[in-house]
Amino acid sequence: MRAAFTEDQIMLRDTVRDTLAAECTPAAVRASWEQPSAFWPLLAEQGVLALTASEELGGLGMGALDWVLVLEEAGRVALPEPLIEHIAAVELLAESGEAEWVERLASGEARVTVFQSGGYAVSADTADAVIRLGDTGAELLTEFTTVRHAAADGSRPLFTVDGAGAPLSGDADAALDRAILATAAQLLGLGNQVLDLAVEYSKARRQFGKPIGSFQAVQHHLVDALLKLKFAAPVVHRAAHSVATNDPQRALHVSMAKIYASEAASLACRKSLQVHGAIGYTFEYDLHLWMKRVWALSEAWGNPAWHRNRAASSLFGA
Amino acid sequence: MNIGVCAKISPHADARIKIKSDGSGVDTKGEKLVVGDYDEYAVEEAIRTKEAHKGAVTAFTVGATSDEKLVRSGALALGVDKAVLISDDAAVNAGPLGTAKLLAAAIKEAGCEIVFTGKAATDDGNSQVSAMIAELLGWAQVSQVTKFAIEGTSFTATRAMDAGVLQIVSGSLPVVITCEDGLNDPRYPKLPDIMKAKRKPLSKIGAGDLGLADVAATSSESNFAPPPPRPASRIIEGDAASAAQELVRLLREEAKVI
Repeated sequence: MRAAFTEDQIMLRDTVRDTLAAECTPAAVRASWEQPSAFWPLLAEQGVLALTASEELGGLGMGALDWVLVLEEAGRVALPEPLIEHIAAVELLAESGEAEWVERLASGEARVTVFQSGGYAVSADTADAVIRLGDTGAELLTEFTTVRHAAADGSRPLFTVDGAGAPLSGDADAALDRAILATAAQLLGLGNQVLDLAVEYSKARRQFGKPIGSFQAVQHHLVDALLKLKFAAPVVHRAAHSVATNDPQRALHVSMAKIYASEAASLACRKSLQVHGAIGYTFEYDLHLWMKRVWALSEAWGNPAWHRNRAASSLFGA
Repeated sequence: MNIGVCAKISPHADARIKIKSDGSGVDTKGEKLVVGDYDEYAVEEAIRTKEAHKGAVTAFTVGATSDEKLVRSGALALGVDKAVLISDDAAVNAGPLGTAKLLAAAIKEAGCEIVFTGKAATDDGNSQVSAMIAELLGWAQVSQVTKFAIEGTSFTATRAMDAGVLQIVSGSLPVVITCEDGLNDPRYPKLPDIMKAKRKPLSKIGAGDLGLADVAATSSESNFAPPPPRPASRIIEGDAASAAQELVRLLREEAKVI
């Protein structure tokens, strides 16, 4: 078995990386704290929103192994759009026979967000519909009210949603696992970006007449973060394979991916902050934009404790 | 309309340029390579011309065999219909004139009526090949174009001259249009088009296929060196008024920039 991404998958990743690097700048992420972001038309134009819809419904018919790298790139730039929720929603709606919704989502004409019952819905204020994932399945809410709540990451607005929904017949557990995997992938991208920021800073910041990156104590911090991220990546990619193939141990693998990615990204944030020193604590410096997204996503779609329990249940029984 | 566009694969504009240890040129190993910045404008304008006037666009590249992937992602995925990659040893070692001979021969063979090029390559910035192509083909050339339109077999191009002066040039096809920053806003490739680009025709040929025997560089390049390191910053002491006066004096007398 050849466990590697294909040339096409790498090319898709690189294309999205180049586009987002040019458009989703730190200044744009910062601006999204104050006003709604405007990347959805770009994502639609480039075909990112159509990745998982079937070709008959205007999509590319791609699976988790295709989009996991794209989601990593979305994380790398802290894309302030509910792409995780979009990825979770499209296949669920398709499985439920909601072809019109799928077409509208794939083209970018409509936006849907997804949340776990009792939790927060991201960007519900700009959504045309909301999907609520509960213990007994999923519901589609087309008429709903929202209340905004304070959030650590100002570019990821959180809402509680109220309203009556219509049941969806698709696999809600699979939708949940897609959301978890997409979150893990974004955390991986975020972690790599905060580490890159620290490495660049360590080359530029000089102390005692030389760059601080030349000091072993600083190098150790950076290497610790890099190792954690390198070990997390194959766990996330393994989970993508399990989601793509509907592996019987899919839930275990995505939970492990979320644990590894959360811990790696969180460590990268701590190390990056340490290397940056005082400037890393300032609002004006960009580091906090990524760190706050890591904090938010580490708690989203199940925190590490919830996923450890889920993994343990999967391994040892409830 | 049969449209041509020349696209050179060069290091990304953000690449950290390294010099080969013997000073014979730029070491591109490990650098991200892309269709050059100005050539991106040329590709975009070629595609827009096709969209406005029908026809097909052919991209022409002189480069390494490994440039195929980059031509596909940087030209075919955007809407160029086919590509010609001239990539034998003779082509790789051709200088500006040799490169122009190869491109002109390929353009002539393809029967293009108009060719777009960037105003300069991102790597060497020679700005020679476009004019040479026009000369070899016996066509007109308009350089540094920031606005372009075709009507029938006539064209109107706006040139950005020095000091902000614009010049409007009109003429008849065929013509080589050399594209300047600001001509257009290059599009991003769409993910479905990236997949389709793999199936678009790309022919790899050599100098011999174009009937050209000698395209070797007629000049040589040597003693490449990085720019000298920037001197340390200076902090001007004193109150705002005297510091401003001193800053102006330094800019005028030492930096000689005002």
